[in-house]
Amino acid sequence: MVKNQIQYSKRQRRLVMQENIAAYLFLLPFLLFFVGFVLYPMFMCVYTSFFDATMGREDIFTGLDNYKTLFQDQVFWIALKNTLVIVVVSVPVTCAFSMWVASIISKMPVAATSAFRCIFYLPVVTGSVAVTMVWKWMFNNYYGIFNYLGKDVLGILDKPINWLGDERYALGCIILILLTTSVGQPIVLYVSALDNVDKSLVEAAEVDGATSMQAFWKIKWPQMMPTTLYILVITTINSFQCFALIQLLTSGGPNNSTMTIMYYIYYNAFKLYKYGYGNAMGVILAIIIAILSAIQFKVGQEK
Amino acid sequence: MAKHNSLAPEQRHSRAYYIICCVLICLVAFTFLFPLYWIITGSFKTKTEILSTTPVWVPSEWVMTNYENLMSKRSAPLFGFELFDYRITGPTVPAAVRWLVNTVFMSVSSMLLTCLTAAMAGYALAKKRFYGKTILFSLIVCAMALPKQVILIPLLREMSALDLYDTIWSVIIPIVGWPFGVFLLKQFSEGIPTEMVEACRIDGANEWRTFTDVMFPMIKPGVGACAIFTFINSWNDYFMQLIMLMSTEQLTISLGIATMQGENSTDFGLLMAGSALASVPIIIVFLIFQKYFTKGITMGAVKG
Amino acid sequence: MKKMIALLLALVMVASFAACSVEKAPEETTAPAAETQQTEAQQTEAATDEAAPVEISLWTYPIGKWTDEATVKSLLADFNAVYPNITVKVEYLDYTNGDDKVNTAIEGGQAPDIVMEGPERLVANWGAKGLMVDLADIVPEGTYDSVLASCTGTDGAVYEMPVCMITHGMAINRDVFEAAGALQYLNEETHTWNSVEDFLKAVQAVYDAGHEYVGAIYCGGHGGDQGTRALITNIGGGTYANAEHTEYTYASQENAEGLAKLYAQDGIVFDPAIVASEAIQNFINGTFQMSFCWNINDELNNADALTFDVLPMAFPSDSEPSLQMGIWGFGVFDNGDEAKIEAAKTFIQFMSQDDAQYTKTVEATNFTPVRDLPGFESVNPLITEYSALDPMQGDYYQVTLGWTQARTEWWNMLQRVNSSDGTAEAILAEMQTAQDASNAAASAG
Repeated sequence: MVKNQIQYSKRQRRLVMQENIAAYLFLLPFLLFFVGFVLYPMFMCVYTSFFDATMGREDIFTGLDNYKTLFQDQVFWIALKNTLVIVVVSVPVTCAFSMWVASIISKMPVAATSAFRCIFYLPVVTGSVAVTMVWKWMFNNYYGIFNYLGKDVLGILDKPINWLGDERYALGCIILILLTTSVGQPIVLYVSALDNVDKSLVEAAEVDGATSMQAFWKIKWPQMMPTTLYILVITTINSFQCFALIQLLTSGGPNNSTMTIMYYIYYNAFKLYKYGYGNAMGVILAIIIAILSAIQFKVGQEK
Repeated sequence: MAKHNSLAPEQRHSRAYYIICCVLICLVAFTFLFPLYWIITGSFKTKTEILSTTPVWVPSEWVMTNYENLMSKRSAPLFGFELFDYRITGPTVPAAVRWLVNTVFMSVSSMLLTCLTAAMAGYALAKKRFYGKTILFSLIVCAMALPKQVILIPLLREMSALDLYDTIWSVIIPIVGWPFGVFLLKQFSEGIPTEMVEACRIDGANEWRTFTDVMFPMIKPGVGACAIFTFINSWNDYFMQLIMLMSTEQLTISLGIATMQGENSTDFGLLMAGSALASVPIIIVFLIFQKYFTKGITMGAVKG
Repeated sequence: MKKMIALLLALVMVASFAACSVEKAPEETTAPAAETQQTEAQQTEAATDEAAPVEISLWTYPIGKWTDEATVKSLLADFNAVYPNITVKVEYLDYTNGDDKVNTAIEGGQAPDIVMEGPERLVANWGAKGLMVDLADIVPEGTYDSVLASCTGTDGAVYEMPVCMITHGMAINRDVFEAAGALQYLNEETHTWNSVEDFLKAVQAVYDAGHEYVGAIYCGGHGGDQGTRALITNIGGGTYANAEHTEYTYASQENAEGLAKLYAQDGIVFDPAIVASEAIQNFINGTFQMSFCWNINDELNNADALTFDVLPMAFPSDSEPSLQMGIWGFGVFDNGDEAKIEAAKTFIQFMSQDDAQYTKTVEATNFTPVRDLPGFESVNPLITEYSALDPMQGDYYQVTLGWTQARTEWWNMLQRVNSSDGTAEAILAEMQTAQDASNAAASAG
């Protein structure tokens, strides 16, 4: 690089300068917002995590105390475990489910494809507050629709289940709702990915007597790989950020069985005003997400 | 029909599988539609029917009480701003109207600002060579992975230091700073042949003209996707709004409804009416622009 | 089409501008430190001609009709008739998000001037953190000592100017109890249960009459905890906090045994999925036959949905029931601006000094006054029935420090008890864990 630069003529160097200036001018408006309101708070988040920060007084420097407390905090470990469970379950299920839906609806007439695509996107658009309110009613122990169907209509359950009030089911319920609010985008993506698959290859394979299963795994799947990777990354990020559902449905209970790191940060920061402690947790969470995303990118690139 | 009979057993088997799947998908689709249906019908039910222990599928009598409550319980000026020494306030309207105005203003402003800044930055990242490009791009990718809630506390302190706390801008600005749009439009711009940009430069157009006349028209589908994406995200960004906004004149619709609840009683009718009011406009926007949207996110993602 | 829309938009804009008002913005009231002296001088000057305009903010939690804009506006109109120079800007909070909002506002340097709430927030939280102004000088004569004591911080300053109070009790569906023959176990005159044993018999009778869910111990968090606390301490006969309000003391053998009785009783369910407001909804729609969280406002707010006769009751106890009371009033934040603090005090005094005005203030809360107010009984017809509970008011221990965390610990304890085997030993162990964590928070401040 250095050698190349030396070889630049004066004019070329001026051009490089010009390009640099132009680039930064184009970047400037975005950088103002990005540096000022994303990077700076991020930095402050790391910085404050070394302080005992609360409202109504100056922050006190405490070094690594917040982190030490954090690693001894049992609820933090439960929250971490639950968060990972949500990610590990919901990411593959979201991918598989949306691929299945996409593979079916893409074979339908155009109008039907478009209608279904909209329907599956609706929960994203409607907003979590409204959707959650209805789900809460559906899961109700006393007159919710799930117990009504399970007990009175289908007769599977011999007594009602308190879905959100039972440690065994609560997290599952949260994951189910999370699924309905996160499959919208993957379905849209898979439908178009399937459209873009090279049709002649599939037809050729079918002529050669391949079953549709084989055609799918050998031809369609590799071609959809970039889409799948992208979906994996965004779903992972989304699942980590699952917060509104918890706040509106369970507040982390029963017995912390739905406590996630996101909610625990909120609880510590905005209910107990332990800002520094909340920030320390945020830092740990960011590190975990960064590592996971890096792994996903790496795996993606190798393939 | 004759053709159908001549199908190989395996193909007939796969046809049966396909039909079963269609039925299943219809069932699943029903559960996706249900919340919306329930909210909209619920907003027209009487209090007794809302609280009923046996599901009331269709209101036996469609009442407007919930909407009347929503419109009469609180009031606020339609708009208000300060110009030099003068405070200009609009006519007094039901607060729900003001909240809706705020929500639309917030979503539209963040959408416009995001599209503009992201298109420019995306262009620079894709087509320009400059020092620090790699570092900047990795920062952008990292920031995308970070949960927004993590930076809420420092952001709150920053906004209050800048005197922006409890103004609609405190919600708009962080959304504009969020780098997803840049990421999306960078992917898009990379798909545009560099020769086209260079041809334009050789013709003597300056940097800005190149961007507005050549680049921008070509990444329009991407900008459209970015627009809808930002619009929906900002409309539903409940948590940021909850932390940053306080006074009746500044609230958004979903927040405002929450303040109308009693001590230990949740007025579900009011809540449903408010939710319907908050979600119907955005659903309409989505339905109108959905073609743009699906096209946009697909193109952006696949190249990514 | 486009022209039509443009025209319509233009019309709307013209119409709204025609109706808008332009006024001189008030002077910046937050003066820089260097100018404080000068401003003070100006204020004394201004006070003489009584014209200095001040704008203060009042944030109210949902307390009766103080959440209803029309009522609040009429009270403000009374105030402004006397003090036209003080503008009061009202914001309405809710219990789900209210605390977060006040806390973020404090952090954002935008704390309100006046907040209307109870001592657990005004005294034990913001007061203890040194954010509030001492209101001792404006407390009206005749305010009940017990109430005033609860509004006083550990440092002796009065951080809440009490306005109204109520006794929190429980309620039963009288129609159902009558049909099940369970009214024999209680005294309708005094609104008390004959004994703990009779209470359990009554629950059994209602359960046997075919009501699977008689009452629910809700433990999903978000308020209403006074109900479960009072239920358990009354049945068991233990205490919740010590008399000095420095320590939580509920992990006792008596309380554990009391809770074990409830755990073993048919018809009493523990439900971590619902919160107090949902327990009340379920009581109103007939799912539950009793509600452990109830006060007069719950009956008033739900009058149009109630289809049965509600009987307010004290909590079951073998001795004299000790009920929780709610106290609400005004607190003033110290925002460092003397003019605003003075204006806030003026407002509070106006609302509470004069008997006639005070009657209106209390009436708007639906609760009862905190000093003798002749003729108040006539205001609200339900008051007579509900005031039967008033003599049973117990210690106001909500001012114990670490309250926010202690509440969470309490909910979590109930949730853990729900999944335990329900023996008194197991319950005691869970109570001990929760109490230790709460006390740690109390000593940390």
